[in-house]
Amino acid sequence: MSFLERMDQSIRRSMAWRTLFRQPYPNDERSRAYAVMNNVFLHIHPVRVRQHAVKFAYTFCLGGLSFFLFLVLTITGVYLMFFYVPSATLAYTNILDIQSQVTFGLLTRNIHRWGAHLMVFFVFLHMMRVFYHGAYKPPREFNWVVGVVLLFTTIMLSFTGYLLPWDQIAYWAITIGTNMGGYAPLINTPVNRLLLGGLEVGQNTLLRFYVLHIMFFPLVAAIFLAVHFWRIRKDGGISGPL
Amino acid sequence: MTDTKSPPDRRVVLPVDPTRRTEIDKQRVPMSARPYRLLALVKQDAVVRVQKEPDDTVMTWPHLLSIEFLAAGMMSVFLLLMGLFINAPLEELANSNVTPAVAKAPWYFLGLQELLAYFHPTVAGVLTPLLVLVGAGFIPYIDRGNLTATRPSERKTAVVLFTMFCALGLTLTFVGIFFRGPGYSFVIPYLPFFENSSPGLHFSL
Ligand code: HEM
Repeated sequence: MSFLERMDQSIRRSMAWRTLFRQPYPNDERSRAYAVMNNVFLHIHPVRVRQHAVKFAYTFCLGGLSFFLFLVLTITGVYLMFFYVPSATLAYTNILDIQSQVTFGLLTRNIHRWGAHLMVFFVFLHMMRVFYHGAYKPPREFNWVVGVVLLFTTIMLSFTGYLLPWDQIAYWAITIGTNMGGYAPLINTPVNRLLLGGLEVGQNTLLRFYVLHIMFFPLVAAIFLAVHFWRIRKDGGISGPL
Repeated sequence: MTDTKSPPDRRVVLPVDPTRRTEIDKQRVPMSARPYRLLALVKQDAVVRVQKEPDDTVMTWPHLLSIEFLAAGMMSVFLLLMGLFINAPLEELANSNVTPAVAKAPWYFLGLQELLAYFHPTVAGVLTPLLVLVGAGFIPYIDRGNLTATRPSERKTAVVLFTMFCALGLTLTFVGIFFRGPGYSFVIPYLPFFENSSPGLHFSL
């Protein structure tokens, strides 16, 4: 037996390993079922899925990748939070420091930024794929509505994050964006004051957008994602075949 | 029953409340604990016809999960490369007194900003997004013509309407990204022989 094989065996036989993975590597049907059912992360899936639903060309993994991007954004976002203060005097300097001083700060910020754009894009694509498959038809009507809430949440996550670097792009993009909302008949003034926390984009706006970005919308997203995934199972799995 | 040997398998199998026995529980009872023995094989048709749909399922592991892991892995590599080679934009410190020549909303709002060039802000900035979002939510409750039709060929109206809507949104966004310059004026990027050409793109992600 080679050294590696012995290592492999002794790891698999160790108490730590066996308390972690109660079963050996799943090779037969029953142990494969257990592998999915007994794992807290995998048991989001049923043990068996319909054949056409695993075809890449049916879902293009778009929903799954949207969710994966959400996870990547959560992780990179938490890292960025360690170095960022939502203050109009500090935020911009913090970003500069993240880029030049923080270990992997630039990479983390880049991934967070590109991941965010990509997530909005993928959620759009996912919605289009669902539409063209007529996958919102009974019994999946309500899950489509949950999806629309998720789309809104995703866009708001991206939009609130856009202000945080507190540079000229951020400031004026948010000024334009919130100005648009300020034209709502009757409720324009309250809406604008509520969003901005003042007459124009300023310290209050930054704090509001920060809280919305790192707490409120992620929570909303998490709740509706849970409902979304739950409903997929309750609605009988992925729609189709066409 | 003449079985006298104690079964080699000494696991204790607790009796399961019969009303709670699921398909899986039935499978889990080891041979030694079964209170019956195989006497004969009876063709199923002869007793009862169990209603059983054709099984078109595959195991989640490995068939689905391997695809998911692969997709996640490829996305990770892609993001890593993007993050390594392209830097996220950052301009000067925000300054409420200096309006930049080109001020654009994030790309997913550029369609709306483009509408702002044609319509009253209440229409472009408030009513349109509200209508789009609420309208999108109502799609499953409006499209009730043929509830089982899923192929595009069976539901041409829905597909054509939705495609037209997407094309419109895409066009507006496209114009907003590429053909709008200083002061949100109409420009043609890169092509110097046009009167209103602009040397580069006025757009940042
Ligand atoms: C954060 C955003 C979203 C995430 C992470 C997400 C995730 C998912 C996942 C993983 C699936 C499984 C099938 C697949 O991958 O296509 C799915 C299915 C589905 N999604 Fe989403 N989704 C999101 C947004 C949306 C939106 C915007 C809509 C529509 C407005 C939507 C409507 C649906 C429907 C109706 C299904 C069932 C499709 C079927 O059975 O074929 N989702 N979603």
